[in-house]
Amino acid sequence: MPPPPTEDAQLVERLRTDESGEAMRSLYRIYGGELYGFAHRSLGDRGLAEEIVQEVFLRAWRHAGRYDPSRAAVRTWLYQICRHAIIDARRRASARPGLAHEATDEEAAGGATLEQAMLGWQVAAALERLTPEHRQMIRMAQFRGLTMREISEHTGLPLGTVKSRTWYALRSLRLVLEEMGVVPS
Amino acid sequence: MTGCHVREELGAYLLGALDPEEHDAVAAHVRDCPECAAERDRLAALPPLIAHADGLEIPAPPPAVEERLLDRVASSRPRPHRRRRFRMRSALVAGLAGLVIGAAATALALSFGDDGTPQVRTYQLALAGTSGASARAELQPGRGGTVVHLWVRGLPPGSKAVYEVRCENAKWSASAGTFRADDQGRAVVVLTTAARVGEYERIRVVRGDESVLTGSLN
Repeated sequence: MPPPPTEDAQLVERLRTDESGEAMRSLYRIYGGELYGFAHRSLGDRGLAEEIVQEVFLRAWRHAGRYDPSRAAVRTWLYQICRHAIIDARRRASARPGLAHEATDEEAAGGATLEQAMLGWQVAAALERLTPEHRQMIRMAQFRGLTMREISEHTGLPLGTVKSRTWYALRSLRLVLEEMGVVPS
Repeated sequence: MTGCHVREELGAYLLGALDPEEHDAVAAHVRDCPECAAERDRLAALPPLIAHADGLEIPAPPPAVEERLLDRVASSRPRPHRRRRFRMRSALVAGLAGLVIGAAATALALSFGDDGTPQVRTYQLALAGTSGASARAELQPGRGGTVVHLWVRGLPPGSKAVYEVRCENAKWSASAGTFRADDQGRAVVVLTTAARVGEYERIRVVRGDESVLTGSLN
């Protein structure tokens, strides 16, 4: 028996028939922020990113019938749509020298491919789902490069608490990423 | 899971956040402890993944994006053929019967369902402002919201200002879209909003935070 559809997969299923717009609103509120961030960083243009995000959800609405929850999580599906929309936008921008130059510069400076950027935004979304305490441990250790001892001094927490909290934070993150389909379970 | 005390240091170990001596001690322990080694392997992929998220904060898109999206979905919904057929038949019947639907009426019935009850009504209202501008709006309920037809005059001529039409009640305000006036200070636009007639009490035309025109549905 296939697993029951997730809550967001049910929202996708309701997209075409829900005339109230509530299914679309809910889906947008779950994923709109991270997709907007992904598009904004990839294109370097706020207005273009707003257009891309709308385009992603419009395409999702039009093709909701083709979505197969057994093949991809809703997040993965939406990111793929967004990736295609960004590529389309870059192609259109290549006809306009100003924007094309900007996009090329951004890629050269960041060196990140769209695939890597997609991964980064999904991990950022996963971090958002951790408790603030767990998120703080990961951010301080990984992004600020602090040792456990420095974090202990900074937060006033006992060293043992900082270490165990960091371990639990990584375990929680692993579970969230599995649930999101970013890493295999 | 056993109570191996080193297990709780594995997170810091994998993130490279232990002092060098502690790091070496954990590494030596993991070599001899299969359970800790399994836990290390389970979490080892995370630090490089987390590195991809460095500097990324999930932003909040401007609120207008959500409204514009819902408007676009509402206006993209195909209208059912059945309803259109009834509308045409109703118009024909109305024409043959010589019915005149009053132009001065604030609500105008346009079609009828199987049981003869009105299905689609177009609401008309006047909008007034303090700066001499005025407007007339016609609200056409759709299956996914409202189509707003707006005729405006008396705006500053030649202005490059962007005006926004908002459908509002006491608790919320939904955008129906934006427009600019022409060189004569006039505009004729058709906009859509996901808000339905009955859900909002007034229509407002705003320029930034400034209210330019207001019309009430009551």
